[in-house]
Amino acid sequence: MVVSFKTLACATALAGLVMTTVAAAADIKIGIVAPMTGQLASEGQDMENAVKMAIDAANAKGGVNGDKIITTTADDACDPQQAVTAGSKLVSEGVTAIVGGYCSGAVLPTLKIYGDAGIPFVIIGANSTKLVSANQGNAFLANSTGDMQATTAVDLFKKNGYSKVAIIDEGDAYSSDLAKLTADAFKVAGGEVTARETTTAGEQDYSAVVTKVKASGADAVFWTAYHAGGALLTKQLRQAGFQGGMVLGDGNNSPEYLEIAGSAGEGVYLLSPPTVDLLSGASDFKAKYKEAYGRDAGAYAALSHDVGDLIVDAISRAKSADQKAIIEALKASDFKGIAGEIKFTDKNTLQTSNFRPVIAKGGKWVAVE
Amino acid sequence: MTLDLVIQQLVNGLIVGSFYALIALGYSMVFGVIKLLNFAHGDIYMNGAFVGLIVFSFMGLWVGNGWFGVVCALLVSMLVVGLLGVVIERFAYRPMRNAPRLSILITALGASMVLNGTALALTGGRHFAFNTDLGFAGVDISTVHITYTQMLLVAASIALMAGMQAFVSRTMYGKAMRAVSIDMGASRLMGIDVDRVIALTFFMGSALAAGGGVMAGAYYGSVHFFMGFIMGLKAFTAAVIGGIGSVPGAMLGGLLLGLLEAYGSSLPFVGSEWRDVFVFGTLILFLVFKPTGLLGRSVVERV
Repeated sequence: MVVSFKTLACATALAGLVMTTVAAAADIKIGIVAPMTGQLASEGQDMENAVKMAIDAANAKGGVNGDKIITTTADDACDPQQAVTAGSKLVSEGVTAIVGGYCSGAVLPTLKIYGDAGIPFVIIGANSTKLVSANQGNAFLANSTGDMQATTAVDLFKKNGYSKVAIIDEGDAYSSDLAKLTADAFKVAGGEVTARETTTAGEQDYSAVVTKVKASGADAVFWTAYHAGGALLTKQLRQAGFQGGMVLGDGNNSPEYLEIAGSAGEGVYLLSPPTVDLLSGASDFKAKYKEAYGRDAGAYAALSHDVGDLIVDAISRAKSADQKAIIEALKASDFKGIAGEIKFTDKNTLQTSNFRPVIAKGGKWVAVE
Repeated sequence: MTLDLVIQQLVNGLIVGSFYALIALGYSMVFGVIKLLNFAHGDIYMNGAFVGLIVFSFMGLWVGNGWFGVVCALLVSMLVVGLLGVVIERFAYRPMRNAPRLSILITALGASMVLNGTALALTGGRHFAFNTDLGFAGVDISTVHITYTQMLLVAASIALMAGMQAFVSRTMYGKAMRAVSIDMGASRLMGIDVDRVIALTFFMGSALAAGGGVMAGAYYGSVHFFMGFIMGLKAFTAAVIGGIGSVPGAMLGGLLLGLLEAYGSSLPFVGSEWRDVFVFGTLILFLVFKPTGLLGRSVVERV
């Protein structure tokens, strides 16, 4: 009997232990979805690291609402099919909220999964306007959508005193869309679009367009397409003696642009997403990141870190792990991070564009002060 | 359009037109001799630019980025890529010479993809800078600045083309080429080494395309694996306009096409997005109404 009493005591103690573990498992679980394999694995790694860095910092301060936060990562490999598998996995693990998403194509099919499950989802990198219409109300875009670039472009034109601008695209959906949006926005802002030209991708001679742009009397040229054409266009404009300003869309954010344009690229403006190298307040973050992970912070690391902070902030304002309350809290976000301000519109997109102009100086892109 | 604009577009048209003409010439010669539309020709132009860039970068260590390096790159690239043309002919086209016309046409498409795919795999799709230091001096005609580089470029391509024309019309080999183009079987019976003549045609056509590639690379300052695609299409159009199979026709077609593009995109109420519509619309009109082109002779189909 004594023995069996002992067993009982053990069993009770064990049960008690199990109970306490269950209580500890009420930790808040946040899912991170990012491309951990494939071509964009390095970006995915950065996103995971930066989000974890924010969560670790929050845990070090005692967690949120007295609960500890744990994370779980799912790999979408930037592939729509794998993204669906990854999304279902996170939902079945019972995560409270999800952050991540780099490729719009991979994020799009998961919106329904998270939407049906009512899980708050903050999208870090992906920024196609298609995501806005497919959103069921639970997803938030922390990166500017492509069309907000037009606003940044017009602001830059006004700030630099360009009143007559020539806008050139490459005839594809992305660049002609951006050109059209910018032209419309600039006209509304009282500017004059002196020329709207289109070039052919893969072509090398832009002289006919250059001559037309020069003759149109433009103060500045806005190129909405990609870096290969942008470098040739810049070079040929300068060689033809064009002295005005040159502004490039985000598709030109590549070292190849500077390499090919050479000295013609000096002083050219680029509208860039908030990449960590170009953020003036990010040096502290960069150093900490390098110390923690032994590598340089990639382009989206700063924004990922902000989103990590944002979700902690939203949960603490919701005062519970209730998903509906967190979604409401996210809607009411008024957050200032390293990459910029995060406030959402009624469509859950950013209120202010986070594109920012940078300038080419000494063969490098540097932030405009 | 003001007069300045007319002159500026004339200069623009002549420069891009001389590139088209150089490439069109190779198309035309090959078509003239073995009745093959060599779709790999645009890719040969691209290969020429890459070989030129490699030579130029290598030479740059000793002779800098000036004229001497460009000329060396030009010559080496013409030689190497000319031989590449011979190799392609030997292994891809010669075995198909007696096959139906469609088979060899598809082989040409295949050769184009092999060259393009190889360049893509080797370069990873990167755009390479071809940074020359050729100066910016030149002459001014009212507000139009024409650099010596631009003049030399047009002059060099005209000289290359004139040399080619002289070769075809004045030399024994040129005569053999013309003979093979008229009747391959009869030429063989007359003791002409037909294989050799065809190889020579490929060598010269490819060397011209390579020359065009190096000049374009150096002039525009950038080289990438896809640069031959549009160029190949435009050169084909130029060859058809001028009369495919005709050497002077290719030159005329190239220059006309360049001017058509330059002035076409300056027309009032017509934007530059219509430029390619002009170019390829003209191609269709020629193919429908004058398939022999401006200077081509009508070819009687042999039975």
